[in-house]
Amino acid sequence: MKILVAVKQVAALDEDFEIREDGRDVDADFLIRDLNEWDDYSLEEAVKIKEGHSEPVEVVAVSIAPEEADEALRKCLAKGADRALRLWDGALEGSDPIAIGRALAAIARRESPAMLFAGVQSSDHAFASTGIATAAFLGWPHAAVVSLLKYTAGARSAVFRRELEGGLLQEVEIECPAVLTIQLGINTPRYASLRAIKQAAAKPIEVISLADVGISAGEVGEAGSHSHVRRMLIPEKGHAQLIEGTPAEQAVRLAGIIREFKGDAV
Amino acid sequence: MSRDEAVTRILFEAFPTGEVRLFYVFAYTAIAVFLYGVYVQIRKYRRGAPLSLTGSLWRRFLEMAVTVLNHRSIARRDHAAGGAHRLIFYGFLLLFAGTSTITLEYDILNPLFGIRFWYGEFYLVFSLVLDIAGVALLGGLLYMMYRRGWLKPPKLDYARPDRSPGDPDFDRPQYRHEDWAFLWTLVVIGATGYLLEAARLVWLEARPDVWDTRWWSPVGALIAQALQGLGLAERGGGLLRHGLWWFHGLLALLFIALIPYTKVKHIVTAAASWMLRDPLAAQRLPRVPEAQETPGVAKITDFNWKQLLNLDACTKCGRCHEACPARAVGAPLSPRDVILSLREFANSTLESGALPAAAELDVHGKSPGQVAMETLWSCRTCMACVEICPVAVEHVPIIVEMRRKLVEDGAMDPLLTKTLQTITKTGNSFGESRRKRGAWAKSLPFKIKDARKEPVEVLWFVGDYASFDPRNQKVTQTFASLLSEAGVDFGILYDGESNAGNDVRRVGEEGLYELLAGANIAALEGASFKTIVTTDPHSYNTIRNEYPDFGGKFEIEHYTSFVRRLLEGGKLKVIKPLALRTTFHDPCHLGRFNKGYEAPREVLRLLGCEILEMGRCRDNSFCCGAGGGRIWIPDPVGQEKPAQNRIREAAAIPGLEVYVVSCPKDLTMFEDALKTTGNEGKFVVKELIELIREAIPVQRAQVAVA
Repeated sequence: MKILVAVKQVAALDEDFEIREDGRDVDADFLIRDLNEWDDYSLEEAVKIKEGHSEPVEVVAVSIAPEEADEALRKCLAKGADRALRLWDGALEGSDPIAIGRALAAIARRESPAMLFAGVQSSDHAFASTGIATAAFLGWPHAAVVSLLKYTAGARSAVFRRELEGGLLQEVEIECPAVLTIQLGINTPRYASLRAIKQAAAKPIEVISLADVGISAGEVGEAGSHSHVRRMLIPEKGHAQLIEGTPAEQAVRLAGIIREFKGDAV
Repeated sequence: MSRDEAVTRILFEAFPTGEVRLFYVFAYTAIAVFLYGVYVQIRKYRRGAPLSLTGSLWRRFLEMAVTVLNHRSIARRDHAAGGAHRLIFYGFLLLFAGTSTITLEYDILNPLFGIRFWYGEFYLVFSLVLDIAGVALLGGLLYMMYRRGWLKPPKLDYARPDRSPGDPDFDRPQYRHEDWAFLWTLVVIGATGYLLEAARLVWLEARPDVWDTRWWSPVGALIAQALQGLGLAERGGGLLRHGLWWFHGLLALLFIALIPYTKVKHIVTAAASWMLRDPLAAQRLPRVPEAQETPGVAKITDFNWKQLLNLDACTKCGRCHEACPARAVGAPLSPRDVILSLREFANSTLESGALPAAAELDVHGKSPGQVAMETLWSCRTCMACVEICPVAVEHVPIIVEMRRKLVEDGAMDPLLTKTLQTITKTGNSFGESRRKRGAWAKSLPFKIKDARKEPVEVLWFVGDYASFDPRNQKVTQTFASLLSEAGVDFGILYDGESNAGNDVRRVGEEGLYELLAGANIAALEGASFKTIVTTDPHSYNTIRNEYPDFGGKFEIEHYTSFVRRLLEGGKLKVIKPLALRTTFHDPCHLGRFNKGYEAPREVLRLLGCEILEMGRCRDNSFCCGAGGGRIWIPDPVGQEKPAQNRIREAAAIPGLEVYVVSCPKDLTMFEDALKTTGNEGKFVVKELIELIREAIPVQRAQVAVA
């Protein structure tokens, strides 16, 4: 019994960032990296299933990324993942979610898990499509934005709830294996102490190549993608002004602005 | 036998041999029961984790002996109880020593070597001394009874803030019963001792060697004459003496036998606890040994043997209970009850012959003897408990070691989890970019040296709050200006500095602490400077006391002593004396932790301020509530915050103008508390640095420098 959890080391902007010279991304020097918040929840969900089951369940964290993502994988190991896999090849550079989905599907075929969890989206690029693309390549049933899951490891099906617009919930039964993208708040991710993370450094992270999962360089990266980032840009600043002064002065100025907008005589 | 030798203590006189033998049977039984109890206790302590002591054993013994003999620690903040205990202690000590000396002569030296000394003048003087000792003992005991029965100080109430009425261990009446049994037993032993003495005098009134020397036992002699007045004569005296002899003797033997099983054992455990004392117990927390698989304390046997002995040293005096800021505001924590809970737990699990299964040794939880996580997280690690404990119990490391286990399990407030993750990611608790750490310096009219790039005389370790909190940034900028005007050659580490880790360590996140300390030590070692100065007492404490354990040995001082020298040496000159009515709040980490009581007060005096002390000041300063990581955990709604409690104390000072702090966290906590207690407008909270600036206005100071 195995649950595969797809995770990503996301980037957050540091103060005063700069765009890369080719204009297509932020200069890596200005990025602070961390495990994607959604993936924290999907990993926790998998670990909870493992802990609630008497038979051994293997939780495998997988990331398609260069070496720097090892940090995120170690965090997963510290939080209870049994194994960590990292697929990387220079050819993967520039992959869109479809290409990543193709690679993830190839890994899933190799690992043949009973469930594949992914986060609803990544906090940096927010495509919200990697998980679903993976399911499409696998031909597995899938569901997005899962906010509650009832699943016993090894069961043929799982029942879950999804968040719909307007506060509506949908309860769905799904056949396994399936791909579920997990929503924030489904659980409370545990804290991985620094000591646990350090100890996790002793566990190996298995690094695999495209050849290991049987896909060619042409199927991923720019060549295997259907969308391409043209450039990153910072929008023009809108009209905003900071009202300075004591609270009393600020209030007077604010009231003046409101009157101006209402068209009252000042 | 000379007349002199006849003047001696009457022991078994007129006892048939059988009765003497019977007494020895009782005596040896009592000693056997005592020794078995001692064995059980030692076995209990040995079930704790190992600990190797540092420093000379002789010095430890000497320190213990001095403290025990002068009773300094017992008399603090409770002179009456200290005085009464002193009477009991010396009374008991002399009487015990006297009785032991009789045994020494009668049972050992005389039968084996024929040595006798217990007669003549020596006996008479000793007899007088013991009579006076008895008065001291009884006087002390009677005061303690008066205290417990009539004065009833709140700190002797055993009701627990972390339990509710109805819980099996809510107010633990068995402790109360034991207290009274202890007092009564000693009173009865003392009183029957005098009666026995008197009865013996009456019985032997015809013997001049006894009767003529009776005034060497003045209390006994007085009672004897009173008994005679009531009509007691030789025969009646003999009968009374016989009965009382047995009663007094058996009670005393029972007392000895029960020492290891009752609170009486504090005679030994409290002294041992003093000998094992770590003077930096709260200032320098223990490291997690590399070999230890999971950090912290999960089971009672994870405490080291010294900590287990600490638990037994506690005399329930309630001084820590009284001093604890968490307890004062109604949080579910009393340091006393943490110790007593764990003691009860240790006694119920570790005194049996076989060690129970690991699952039964878990000290975390809500069952009797266990400590709840709410209790552990209520602690501010302010050290008030450790500082005042008369028997050197070290509560703070015990609490932090238990928290380490909670952190490992993620059993903490979600906001604290977030903060720890933020610190891991950014190196500061504000979640700001590392690059912004030195941003406060940009608006200054001069450039602050980057100590990573050029050598400086003084390296200023700024700390998180002073770097990122907008209100504190103003103080930080002011301090930079003052340093510059005083011509100090100083620099900062800019983004090379991380959170110092003091509070992270006190939260119990040791791994993160190691990371932060390691990063700061590397950054400091990469810079060239003579000393470190900081405005943050928390950073000050950990760099001063804890970094050396990680290889970082630096000279560091808090700004208050540094500025005091600048003022005294004329580098900074007071231009406009302030003449303000101020009170000074001792920050825990500057005052109690590092004894920095004088420098800030001296600076205030140099500025021309009047200092009106709060009742709780210096070593008894009352924590603002932000310590131990509590600044990252919201206080419960509707409950008084320690800072509010403190501001109310200050508000009672007539005509107070400025509440002076010298810690960035204090500024945040108390400005907030000033508003929430409705005292805004009555007085202001100011950082000492701001007062210095007021006394040395900018333009004129610059002119002075020019």
